Parts: sequence; structure tokens; C-alpha cells
Amino acid sequence: MPLLRRLWWGGGDREPRTVPDALRRAEQRRREGRYAEAGALVARALELDPDNLHAHLLAAYLHVARRAPAPAKAEFHWVLDRDANHARALLGLARIALEEGDAHASHDLLRRALRFYPDFPEAKALLDAVRARATARPSAPPAPVPPRVERLRLPGTGRALIVGRADGGLITAQPVSDDAKDVSEALAHMLRLAAAALTRAGLGPLHRAIVVDGHDAVFTRTDGELVVSLALPRATDPTQGLLDVNRLWSATLHELGLTGAAPAIAPPVTPVNTPAASDSTGASHAPQARARTR
Amino acid sequence: MRLKLALEHDSATRGRHVRDIVQELKRLQWVRGALIVAPDGFVIAAELPPTAEVDPLAALTATLGRELETSAARLGRPSFSTALFSADDGTMFVAGSRIGYLVVLADQQVNVQAIRGALADAVALIDAAWAGGEVNPS
Repeated sequence: MPLLRRLWWGGGDREPRTVPDALRRAEQRRREGRYAEAGALVARALELDPDNLHAHLLAAYLHVARRAPAPAKAEFHWVLDRDANHARALLGLARIALEEGDAHASHDLLRRALRFYPDFPEAKALLDAVRARATARPSAPPAPVPPRVERLRLPGTGRALIVGRADGGLITAQPVSDDAKDVSEALAHMLRLAAAALTRAGLGPLHRAIVVDGHDAVFTRTDGELVVSLALPRATDPTQGLLDVNRLWSATLHELGLTGAAPAIAPPVTPVNTPAASDSTGASHAPQARARTR
Repeated sequence: MRLKLALEHDSATRGRHVRDIVQELKRLQWVRGALIVAPDGFVIAAELPPTAEVDPLAALTATLGRELETSAARLGRPSFSTALFSADDGTMFVAGSRIGYLVVLADQQVNVQAIRGALADAVALIDAAWAGGEVNPS
């Protein structure tokens, strides 16, 4: 008996004897976030009926839910080998392709899903996000970095600065590092997905982000074309972090010749050119961004 | 701001309690809605305004959550704990947990620290309740 099943039935629950019973109980566990238990029930269903398509699809979902993309792909492919137009299997593979950075494959899979099920809302939402990524691809080589941009001054607690384009292209980074280009691309990809989610939620275009991990709090500002991202210690007060990234945003626009509002090199403290926060997210501070989009 | 919840570690009650967590998040000041979505995009629990389309939003936030996790792993960084995305008409928070992503939609003037604290509480409750009952893959 597989390990997961031994763990589950070690608790004394009755083992399901039919495939529908196993799958019904697996779906119930899945709804409760009990993925290992659901997986054991699906394994039982597949013992009883190894070619059950629903069980393979559910197995794929559970692998994704448990953050195991490789076996999930194998199960989605198993389903597609039997039903080449299975929209949910196509969507599942598209999401994994996007996760793996293959936007082209993701786009093709979503188009296939929508060809047969044009009103598939999840596929439509993801396709919009993937298209945004495709249209953000650079069509021309990057322009030389204006030297003064490289001299943007970080605040005292600043750990790193990335200035890039919404297509992921790196403009400049401090400190200069080998992975700055990769960070810029990952940041742009994440911001595109966030922008798509905000739009779906009816909240409007993305302006700011704060991503906190075990080490840093990364404050980002964007207008959909330019991205300025500042890494600060994770304990940084959100208002202070937003003020710091606002200052660097204004200075970057000035150095790139996109606005005349900011001083050439702004001081690395709460700047006089950045208005006091009107709210805790600083969300109303977008005069330069709005001016650029007009 | 603390979530007024304590999860029982009995696996049979987890489904109900995870819905309680979403309801508690929804009750916080300036919060318009909340959901918990599995990494595969499956909606575990949702309390969203009627104008929000649950399934597309869940698909996108699950993909976003996975992107936050996988990009951090690719770059050798610790995984994210919370993320905030601010727009013209509101703010979206995302937090990672053992069973998926907690998502909060809030007004623009929301108290960021309060929501982040509430999300940290919710993640701690979920992780504690699920710690004994789930086995990590691979």
C-alpha cells in the first residue's frame, strides 16, 4: 500500500470500495485543503480503475496543490492523450508552462482550450495575462543607460535597487550584480500577473507593490512602462518604504528625461518633492506616472 | 488587529474553520472581500463582493502566488510571506500558506500593518492546524 494511503487509513477510516465513493471523498478533502488525504483516496480510485480520467485529472490538481509540477504535468498529459481537447487539462498545463517561464507554450495551450470552450473564464483571464506579457516584449535593443541613473542614491537602509522596463528589460541596478537581469525579468512577470488580478478584481491599474520575505521588504512603483524597485529591511515601516521608493521614482524619471519635476540626485531621506502620504499605501502619489501616460 | 479564532487540530473540522478564517478576514475594517485559493486555482473558501468574478480572480491569484514562490526559489531567495498590490481603486494582499494563498481585497485607505498582521495570524492558524495532517510531496 502506498505511503500516503497507509498514513490515511492508519487513522481507522473506512477504505472506499467504489471509485465514485473514493472520488467523492477525495473532492471533499480537497475542498478542505487536505491534499495528502485526497491524494490517498485518488490513489485508491486508480487502484480500482486505472484508466479513470476523472481520477487522473484530480490527481493532477492535487499534485499542483501540493506544489509538485512534474507529476502534475504527467497526469495532465495522460488526460490529454485520451481527450486532446480537455479544457481543464489544457488550462492546468498552461499554468505550469507559465510558472516555468514558457509564455509561448502557455499561450498556445490556452488558445486550444478556448477554441473548444470559448467561455472558459479562467482560461480567458490567464490568456489576457499572457497576452500582456507578449505585448510587453521589447521590439528594439535597450537604449544606453544614462550615466546619472547609475548614480541614484539609495536610502541608508537600502539593500538593492532595480530600475527596469515593464517588459523585464533592465535599465540599471545597484549594487551591480550578475542576477540583476533575472531579478528585473522576474519582477516584471510578477507585476503583470498582479496587474491582471487587480483588473479582474475591479481595482484598476497597478501602481505600487510591497513584497515581504524572510529577509527583505521590496517596495516597487510602476506606471505600466517603468519599474523602480527598492529592497529594504523587512521591518521597514510601509509608509517610509513607499516614501523612499517614491523619491527614487521621481529621481529616475528626471534622470531619464521623462519629467523635470525632481532634483538631479535626490537626498536619501524623506524627500521634499514627495508629498506626505495621504494614506497608508501612498496610492495617490502618481503625478509623474499620470503625466507620462497622458 | 487579531483574528478572533482558534483552530481545532481535528482534521474533520478544518474545512469549516478555514471558512471561518475567510469570514473573519472579511469583517476587518476596509476589507471588501477575502478568499483562500489552492495553488491549482481551486477556491477553498471565498467571501467576495458580488461584482468580483471568483473563478478568474482565483486562477490569476493562484498563478501570482506560485510566481512569487517559484521566482524566489529560482533567485535563491526566501519565499514571500505577504505581498501587497496597490491600484487606483483598492489594494490586494496575498499571503502564502500550507494549503494555498490567502487573498484580501481592501479599500485604498486600508491599514496595511493591520491587514498584514491579520494575514500572519491566519497563516499561523492554518499552518498549525494542518501541520499534523498533511505530508509534503516528494
